[in-house]
Amino acid sequence: MNAFHDRLGLGWRADLAAGILSHLDRIDLLEVIADDFFSAPRREVRALKTLSSQVPVVLHGVGMGLASCAPVETKLLENMARLVEQVRPQFWSEHLAFVRGGGMEIGHLAASPRTRDTLDGAAENLSRASRLIGSKPIMENIATLINPPGSTLSESAWISAILDASDCDLLLDLHNVYANGLNHGYDPGDFLRQIPSARMGVIHIAGGEFISSPDGRQRIVDDHLHDVPDPVFELLEEAAAISPNPLTVILERDGAYPSMDCLLAQIELARQALARGRARRTALQEVLL
Amino acid sequence: MSGRAFESFMARIYVDAGARARFRENPRAEAQRAGLSEEECSALENTDFVGLEMAARSFARKRQMKQQKGFLFSARRLLRRFFTDRAALFRRP
Repeated sequence: MNAFHDRLGLGWRADLAAGILSHLDRIDLLEVIADDFFSAPRREVRALKTLSSQVPVVLHGVGMGLASCAPVETKLLENMARLVEQVRPQFWSEHLAFVRGGGMEIGHLAASPRTRDTLDGAAENLSRASRLIGSKPIMENIATLINPPGSTLSESAWISAILDASDCDLLLDLHNVYANGLNHGYDPGDFLRQIPSARMGVIHIAGGEFISSPDGRQRIVDDHLHDVPDPVFELLEEAAAISPNPLTVILERDGAYPSMDCLLAQIELARQALARGRARRTALQEVLL
Repeated sequence: MSGRAFESFMARIYVDAGARARFRENPRAEAQRAGLSEEECSALENTDFVGLEMAARSFARKRQMKQQKGFLFSARRLLRRFFTDRAALFRRP
Protein backbone atom coordinates (compact mmCIF):
# COMPACT_ATOMS: atom_id res chain seq x y z
CA MET A 1 0.00 0.00 0.00
CA ASN A 2 1.30 3.50 -0.86
CA ALA A 3 0.94 6.82 1.00
CA PHE A 4 -2.46 7.34 -0.64
CA HIS A 5 -3.64 3.96 0.75
CA ASP A 6 -4.32 2.61 -2.73
CA ARG A 7 -4.95 -1.13 -2.97
CA LEU A 8 -4.74 -3.72 -5.71
CA GLY A 9 -6.96 -6.74 -6.02
CA LEU A 10 -8.12 -9.49 -8.31
CA GLY A 11 -11.47 -10.93 -9.34
CA TRP A 12 -12.06 -14.23 -7.53
CA ARG A 13 -12.64 -17.06 -10.01
CA ALA A 14 -12.75 -20.76 -9.09
CA ASP A 15 -10.14 -21.53 -11.78
CA LEU A 16 -7.73 -19.09 -10.13
CA ALA A 17 -8.39 -20.11 -6.52
CA ALA A 18 -5.18 -22.08 -5.89
CA GLY A 19 -2.99 -19.39 -7.47
CA ILE A 20 -4.74 -16.61 -5.57
CA LEU A 21 -4.53 -18.35 -2.19
CA SER A 22 -0.83 -18.98 -2.59
CA HIS A 23 -0.10 -15.33 -3.49
CA LEU A 24 -2.18 -13.40 -0.97
CA ASP A 25 0.94 -11.44 0.00
CA ARG A 26 0.68 -9.66 -3.38
CA ILE A 27 -3.11 -9.26 -3.56
CA ASP A 28 -4.76 -6.75 -1.23
CA LEU A 29 -8.37 -7.80 -1.79
CA LEU A 30 -10.65 -10.08 -3.79
CA GLU A 31 -13.77 -9.21 -5.77
CA VAL A 32 -16.40 -11.95 -5.80
CA ILE A 33 -19.30 -12.16 -8.28
CA ALA A 34 -22.27 -12.00 -5.90
CA ASP A 35 -24.77 -13.58 -8.32
CA ASP A 36 -22.76 -16.84 -8.33
CA PHE A 37 -23.70 -17.29 -4.66
CA PHE A 38 -27.38 -16.29 -4.65
CA SER A 39 -28.53 -19.89 -5.06
CA ALA A 40 -25.32 -21.65 -4.12
CA PRO A 41 -25.33 -24.53 -1.60
CA ARG A 42 -24.78 -23.49 2.01
CA ARG A 43 -21.31 -25.00 2.12
CA GLU A 44 -20.19 -22.72 -0.76
CA VAL A 45 -21.45 -19.65 1.07
CA ARG A 46 -19.67 -20.90 4.21
CA ALA A 47 -16.46 -21.20 2.17
CA LEU A 48 -16.93 -17.62 0.98
CA LYS A 49 -17.42 -16.47 4.59
CA THR A 50 -14.19 -18.24 5.53
CA LEU A 51 -12.42 -16.55 2.63
CA SER A 52 -13.72 -13.13 3.70
CA SER A 53 -12.41 -13.71 7.21
CA GLN A 54 -8.91 -14.25 5.79
CA VAL A 55 -8.71 -11.57 3.08
CA PRO A 56 -10.76 -8.42 2.36
CA VAL A 57 -13.63 -9.31 0.04
CA VAL A 58 -15.95 -7.09 -2.00
CA LEU A 59 -19.15 -8.27 -3.71
CA HIS A 60 -19.88 -7.42 -7.33
CA GLY A 61 -23.40 -7.83 -8.71
CA VAL A 62 -24.16 -8.28 -12.39
CA GLY A 63 -27.88 -9.00 -12.66
CA MET A 64 -29.92 -6.25 -11.01
CA GLY A 65 -30.25 -3.85 -13.92
CA LEU A 66 -30.38 -0.81 -11.68
CA ALA A 67 -30.12 1.84 -14.42
CA SER A 68 -33.65 1.26 -15.61
CA CYS A 69 -37.02 2.99 -15.55
CA ALA A 70 -38.48 -0.28 -14.24
CA PRO A 71 -38.26 -0.87 -10.49
CA VAL A 72 -35.58 -3.41 -9.58
CA GLU A 73 -37.03 -6.76 -8.48
CA THR A 74 -37.25 -7.01 -4.69
CA LYS A 75 -36.08 -10.63 -4.79
CA LEU A 76 -32.77 -9.55 -6.36
CA LEU A 77 -32.23 -6.94 -3.67
CA GLU A 78 -33.05 -9.50 -0.95
CA ASN A 79 -30.51 -11.93 -2.44
CA MET A 80 -27.81 -9.29 -2.24
CA ALA A 81 -28.92 -8.18 1.25
CA ARG A 82 -28.67 -11.79 2.52
CA LEU A 83 -25.22 -12.29 1.01
CA VAL A 84 -23.95 -8.96 2.34
CA GLU A 85 -25.22 -9.94 5.79
CA GLN A 86 -23.47 -13.32 5.59
CA VAL A 87 -20.17 -12.28 4.02
CA ARG A 88 -19.75 -8.74 5.42
CA PRO A 89 -17.87 -7.41 2.37
CA GLN A 90 -16.00 -4.13 2.47
CA PHE A 91 -18.52 -2.83 -0.08
CA TRP A 92 -20.81 -4.06 -2.82
CA SER A 93 -21.07 -2.85 -6.38
CA GLU A 94 -23.31 -3.09 -9.45
CA HIS A 95 -23.58 -1.72 -12.98
CA LEU A 96 -25.15 1.30 -14.63
CA ALA A 97 -27.05 -0.88 -17.07
CA PHE A 98 -30.38 -2.53 -17.75
CA VAL A 99 -30.55 -6.28 -18.21
CA ARG A 100 -34.23 -7.00 -18.89
CA GLY A 101 -37.36 -5.34 -20.19
CA GLY A 102 -40.94 -6.37 -20.92
CA GLY A 103 -40.31 -9.79 -19.36
CA MET A 104 -37.27 -10.52 -21.56
CA GLU A 105 -33.85 -11.26 -20.10
CA ILE A 106 -31.15 -9.73 -22.30
CA GLY A 107 -28.54 -11.98 -20.73
CA HIS A 108 -25.93 -9.32 -20.06
CA LEU A 109 -25.40 -5.64 -19.33
CA ALA A 110 -27.10 -3.42 -21.91
CA ALA A 111 -26.51 0.32 -22.15
CA SER A 112 -29.57 2.26 -21.02
CA PRO A 113 -30.78 5.14 -23.18
CA ARG A 114 -29.08 8.13 -21.54
CA THR A 115 -32.18 10.17 -20.79
CA ARG A 116 -33.79 12.00 -17.89
CA ASP A 117 -36.18 9.00 -17.48
CA THR A 118 -33.45 6.40 -16.98
CA LEU A 119 -31.55 8.82 -14.77
CA ASP A 120 -34.57 9.21 -12.48
CA GLY A 121 -35.27 5.47 -12.60
CA ALA A 122 -31.68 4.67 -11.65
CA ALA A 123 -31.75 7.15 -8.77
CA GLU A 124 -34.98 5.58 -7.46
CA ASN A 125 -33.61 2.03 -7.80
CA LEU A 126 -30.36 2.98 -6.09
CA SER A 127 -32.24 4.58 -3.24
CA ARG A 128 -34.35 1.41 -2.75
CA ALA A 129 -31.29 -0.84 -3.02
CA SER A 130 -29.41 1.22 -0.45
CA ARG A 131 -32.33 1.11 1.99
CA LEU A 132 -32.96 -2.61 1.64
CA ILE A 133 -29.35 -3.76 1.61
CA GLY A 134 -28.19 -1.28 4.23
CA SER A 135 -25.35 0.34 2.29
CA LYS A 136 -24.94 2.23 -0.98
CA PRO A 137 -23.54 0.34 -3.96
CA ILE A 138 -20.55 1.58 -5.91
CA MET A 139 -21.76 1.88 -9.50
CA GLU A 140 -19.81 0.82 -12.58
CA ASN A 141 -19.83 2.32 -16.07
CA ILE A 142 -20.31 -0.35 -18.74
CA ALA A 143 -18.82 -1.06 -22.16
CA THR A 144 -21.16 -1.03 -25.13
CA LEU A 145 -20.88 -1.91 -28.80
CA ILE A 146 -23.82 0.35 -29.62
CA ASN A 147 -24.38 3.93 -28.66
CA PRO A 148 -27.78 3.53 -26.99
CA PRO A 149 -30.52 4.89 -29.27
CA GLY A 150 -32.77 7.57 -27.84
CA SER A 151 -30.01 9.11 -25.70
CA THR A 152 -30.25 12.81 -25.00
CA LEU A 153 -27.27 13.07 -22.63
CA SER A 154 -23.59 12.28 -23.07
CA GLU A 155 -22.29 9.23 -21.20
CA SER A 156 -20.23 11.34 -18.79
CA ALA A 157 -23.13 13.75 -18.08
CA TRP A 158 -25.57 10.85 -17.51
CA ILE A 159 -23.20 9.00 -15.16
CA SER A 160 -22.32 12.17 -13.24
CA ALA A 161 -26.00 13.07 -12.80
CA ILE A 162 -26.89 9.57 -11.48
CA LEU A 163 -24.00 9.63 -9.00
CA ASP A 164 -25.08 13.07 -7.88
CA ALA A 165 -28.77 12.14 -7.52
CA SER A 166 -28.06 8.87 -5.69
CA ASP A 167 -25.00 9.99 -3.71
CA CYS A 168 -23.24 6.80 -4.86
CA ASP A 169 -19.57 6.50 -5.74
CA LEU A 170 -18.19 5.34 -9.07
CA LEU A 171 -16.55 2.07 -9.94
CA LEU A 172 -14.65 3.31 -12.95
CA ASP A 173 -13.93 0.52 -15.41
CA LEU A 174 -11.04 1.86 -17.44
CA HIS A 175 -11.22 -0.81 -20.13
CA ASN A 176 -14.88 0.13 -20.64
CA VAL A 177 -13.87 3.79 -20.99
CA TYR A 178 -11.14 2.80 -23.47
CA ALA A 179 -13.49 0.52 -25.45
CA ASN A 180 -16.35 3.04 -25.57
CA GLY A 181 -13.94 5.80 -26.57
CA LEU A 182 -12.78 3.75 -29.53
CA ASN A 183 -16.21 2.32 -30.40
CA HIS A 184 -18.01 5.67 -30.25
CA GLY A 185 -15.30 8.11 -31.21
CA TYR A 186 -14.38 10.06 -28.11
CA ASP A 187 -11.18 10.67 -26.20
CA PRO A 188 -11.07 8.48 -23.04
CA GLY A 189 -8.87 11.11 -21.38
CA ASP A 190 -11.60 13.74 -21.87
CA PHE A 191 -14.14 11.33 -20.37
CA LEU A 192 -11.96 10.94 -17.27
CA ARG A 193 -11.79 14.69 -16.83
CA GLN A 194 -15.58 15.07 -17.25
CA ILE A 195 -16.62 12.71 -14.45
CA PRO A 196 -16.39 13.85 -10.81
CA SER A 197 -12.98 12.71 -9.55
CA ALA A 198 -14.19 12.92 -5.94
CA ARG A 199 -16.63 10.06 -6.72
CA MET A 200 -13.86 7.77 -7.99
CA GLY A 201 -13.19 5.09 -5.42
CA VAL A 202 -12.77 1.80 -7.22
CA ILE A 203 -11.24 1.02 -10.60
CA HIS A 204 -11.51 -2.05 -12.82
CA ILE A 205 -8.84 -2.95 -15.33
CA ALA A 206 -9.25 -5.70 -17.92
CA GLY A 207 -8.52 -6.60 -21.52
CA GLY A 208 -10.63 -7.17 -24.61
CA GLU A 209 -10.37 -7.92 -28.28
CA PHE A 210 -10.35 -5.81 -31.43
CA ILE A 211 -12.81 -7.09 -34.00
CA SER A 212 -13.60 -5.86 -37.48
CA SER A 213 -17.23 -4.94 -37.82
CA PRO A 214 -19.16 -5.36 -41.10
CA ASP A 215 -18.92 -1.59 -41.72
CA GLY A 216 -15.12 -1.95 -41.88
CA ARG A 217 -14.46 -0.24 -38.55
CA GLN A 218 -12.53 -1.76 -35.69
CA ARG A 219 -14.42 -2.13 -32.43
CA ILE A 220 -13.35 -3.48 -29.06
CA VAL A 221 -15.29 -6.23 -27.32
CA ASP A 222 -14.82 -6.06 -23.56
CA ASP A 223 -14.50 -9.83 -23.10
CA HIS A 224 -12.10 -9.98 -20.12
CA LEU A 225 -10.27 -12.78 -21.91
CA HIS A 226 -7.13 -10.82 -22.76
CA ASP A 227 -4.31 -9.03 -20.97
CA VAL A 228 -4.72 -5.40 -19.95
CA PRO A 229 -3.56 -3.23 -22.87
CA ASP A 230 -1.10 -0.34 -22.39
CA PRO A 231 -3.70 2.45 -22.96
CA VAL A 232 -5.62 1.16 -19.92
CA PHE A 233 -2.51 1.47 -17.75
CA GLU A 234 -2.06 4.99 -19.13
CA LEU A 235 -5.65 5.82 -18.14
CA LEU A 236 -4.96 4.36 -14.69
CA GLU A 237 -2.03 6.75 -14.32
CA GLU A 238 -4.34 9.64 -15.30
CA ALA A 239 -7.00 8.52 -12.83
CA ALA A 240 -4.43 8.33 -10.03
CA ALA A 241 -3.19 11.81 -10.93
CA ILE A 242 -6.67 13.36 -10.61
CA SER A 243 -8.34 11.30 -7.86
CA PRO A 244 -8.20 12.72 -4.33
CA ASN A 245 -9.40 9.40 -2.85
CA PRO A 246 -7.63 6.17 -1.96
CA LEU A 247 -8.17 3.92 -4.98
CA THR A 248 -8.97 0.23 -5.03
CA VAL A 249 -7.85 -1.23 -8.37
CA ILE A 250 -9.18 -4.66 -9.34
CA LEU A 251 -7.96 -6.78 -12.25
CA GLU A 252 -10.80 -8.72 -13.91
CA ARG A 253 -10.21 -11.88 -15.91
CA ASP A 254 -13.07 -14.16 -16.91
CA GLY A 255 -11.42 -16.92 -18.93
CA ALA A 256 -8.52 -17.97 -21.18
CA TYR A 257 -6.57 -17.78 -17.94
CA PRO A 258 -2.85 -17.14 -18.22
CA SER A 259 -0.37 -18.22 -15.56
CA MET A 260 -0.66 -16.68 -12.10
CA ASP A 261 2.72 -15.02 -12.75
CA CYS A 262 1.21 -13.24 -15.75
CA LEU A 263 -1.74 -11.96 -13.69
CA LEU A 264 0.58 -10.86 -10.89
CA ALA A 265 2.74 -9.06 -13.48
CA GLN A 266 -0.34 -7.10 -14.61
CA ILE A 267 -1.11 -6.20 -11.00
CA GLU A 268 2.47 -5.02 -10.69
CA LEU A 269 2.11 -2.87 -13.84
CA ALA A 270 -1.05 -1.39 -12.30
CA ARG A 271 0.89 -0.66 -9.10
CA GLN A 272 3.55 1.16 -11.15
CA ALA A 273 0.92 3.16 -13.09
CA LEU A 274 -0.71 4.17 -9.79
CA ALA A 275 2.68 5.23 -8.42
CA ARG A 276 3.38 7.38 -11.50
CA GLY A 277 -0.03 9.05 -11.24
CA ARG A 278 0.31 9.65 -7.52
CA ALA A 279 3.78 11.15 -8.03
CA ARG A 280 2.31 13.59 -10.56
CA ARG A 281 -0.49 14.46 -8.13
CA THR A 282 2.00 15.07 -5.30
CA ALA A 283 4.21 17.23 -7.55
CA LEU A 284 1.21 19.30 -8.64
CA GLN A 285 0.04 19.79 -5.05
CA GLU A 286 3.54 20.94 -4.06
CA VAL A 287 3.56 23.49 -6.89
CA LEU A 288 0.12 24.76 -5.88
CA LEU A 289 1.23 25.12 -2.24
CA MET B 1 -40.12 9.44 -23.63
CA SER B 2 -42.00 6.66 -21.82
CA GLY B 3 -38.85 4.95 -20.61
CA ARG B 4 -40.21 1.53 -19.67
CA ALA B 5 -41.85 0.93 -23.04
CA PHE B 6 -38.66 2.02 -24.77
CA GLU B 7 -36.53 -0.32 -22.65
CA SER B 8 -38.93 -3.21 -23.31
CA PHE B 9 -38.68 -2.51 -27.03
CA MET B 10 -34.86 -2.48 -26.89
CA ALA B 11 -34.79 -5.72 -24.86
CA ARG B 12 -36.96 -7.42 -27.49
CA ILE B 13 -34.78 -6.11 -30.32
CA TYR B 14 -31.66 -7.47 -28.58
CA VAL B 15 -33.15 -10.89 -27.88
CA ASP B 16 -35.52 -11.64 -30.77
CA ALA B 17 -33.70 -12.01 -34.11
CA GLY B 18 -36.97 -11.79 -36.06
CA ALA B 19 -38.00 -8.52 -34.42
CA ARG B 20 -34.49 -7.21 -35.02
CA ALA B 21 -34.65 -8.06 -38.72
CA ARG B 22 -38.04 -6.31 -39.05
CA PHE B 23 -36.65 -3.32 -37.15
CA ARG B 24 -33.63 -3.10 -39.46
CA GLU B 25 -35.96 -3.28 -42.47
CA ASN B 26 -38.28 -0.54 -41.26
CA PRO B 27 -37.33 1.00 -37.89
CA ARG B 28 -40.22 3.44 -37.70
CA ALA B 29 -42.89 0.86 -38.48
CA GLU B 30 -41.54 -1.62 -35.91
CA ALA B 31 -41.30 1.10 -33.25
CA GLN B 32 -44.84 2.28 -34.05
CA ARG B 33 -46.12 -1.31 -33.83
CA ALA B 34 -44.68 -1.40 -30.28
CA GLY B 35 -46.68 1.72 -29.41
CA LEU B 36 -43.69 4.03 -29.00
CA SER B 37 -44.14 7.79 -29.25
CA GLU B 38 -43.31 9.82 -32.33
CA GLU B 39 -40.19 11.16 -30.61
CA GLU B 40 -39.03 7.61 -29.78
CA CYS B 41 -39.72 6.39 -33.31
CA SER B 42 -37.60 9.20 -34.72
CA ALA B 43 -34.79 8.46 -32.25
CA LEU B 44 -34.75 4.81 -33.29
CA GLU B 45 -34.36 5.68 -36.97
CA ASN B 46 -30.81 6.79 -36.18
CA THR B 47 -29.81 3.44 -34.64
CA ASP B 48 -26.32 2.12 -35.36
CA PHE B 49 -27.50 -1.16 -36.89
CA VAL B 50 -24.01 -2.65 -37.12
CA GLY B 51 -23.44 -2.01 -33.40
CA LEU B 52 -26.91 -3.35 -32.64
CA GLU B 53 -26.24 -6.64 -34.42
CA MET B 54 -22.83 -7.02 -32.73
CA ALA B 55 -24.31 -6.29 -29.31
CA ALA B 56 -27.21 -8.71 -29.91
CA ARG B 57 -24.82 -11.52 -30.88
CA SER B 58 -22.66 -10.83 -27.85
CA PHE B 59 -25.76 -11.02 -25.60
CA ALA B 60 -26.85 -14.27 -27.26
CA ARG B 61 -23.45 -15.84 -26.48
CA LYS B 62 -23.75 -14.73 -22.86
CA ARG B 63 -27.24 -16.26 -22.57
CA GLN B 64 -25.94 -19.51 -24.04
CA MET B 65 -23.03 -19.57 -21.57
CA LYS B 66 -25.41 -18.94 -18.66
CA GLN B 67 -27.64 -21.81 -19.83
CA GLN B 68 -24.67 -24.17 -19.98
CA LYS B 69 -23.50 -23.04 -16.56
CA GLY B 70 -27.00 -23.57 -15.16
CA PHE B 71 -27.17 -27.07 -16.65
CA LEU B 72 -23.78 -28.02 -15.18
CA PHE B 73 -24.82 -26.64 -11.79
CA SER B 74 -28.05 -28.69 -11.77
CA ALA B 75 -26.26 -31.84 -12.93
CA ARG B 76 -23.65 -31.44 -10.19
CA ARG B 77 -26.37 -30.96 -7.57
CA LEU B 78 -28.28 -34.05 -8.74
CA LEU B 79 -25.11 -36.16 -8.68
CA ARG B 80 -24.26 -34.96 -5.18
CA ARG B 81 -27.78 -35.82 -3.95
CA PHE B 82 -27.60 -39.25 -5.58
CA PHE B 83 -24.33 -40.15 -3.86
CA THR B 84 -25.44 -38.65 -0.53
CA ASP B 85 -28.65 -40.74 -0.64
CA ARG B 86 -26.69 -43.92 -1.51
CA ALA B 87 -24.27 -43.30 1.33
CA ALA B 88 -27.22 -42.84 3.73
CA LEU B 89 -28.74 -46.10 2.50
CA PHE B 90 -25.57 -48.05 3.32
CA ARG B 91 -25.27 -46.40 6.74
CA ARG B 92 -28.79 -47.58 7.74
CA PRO B 93 -28.72 -50.18 10.57
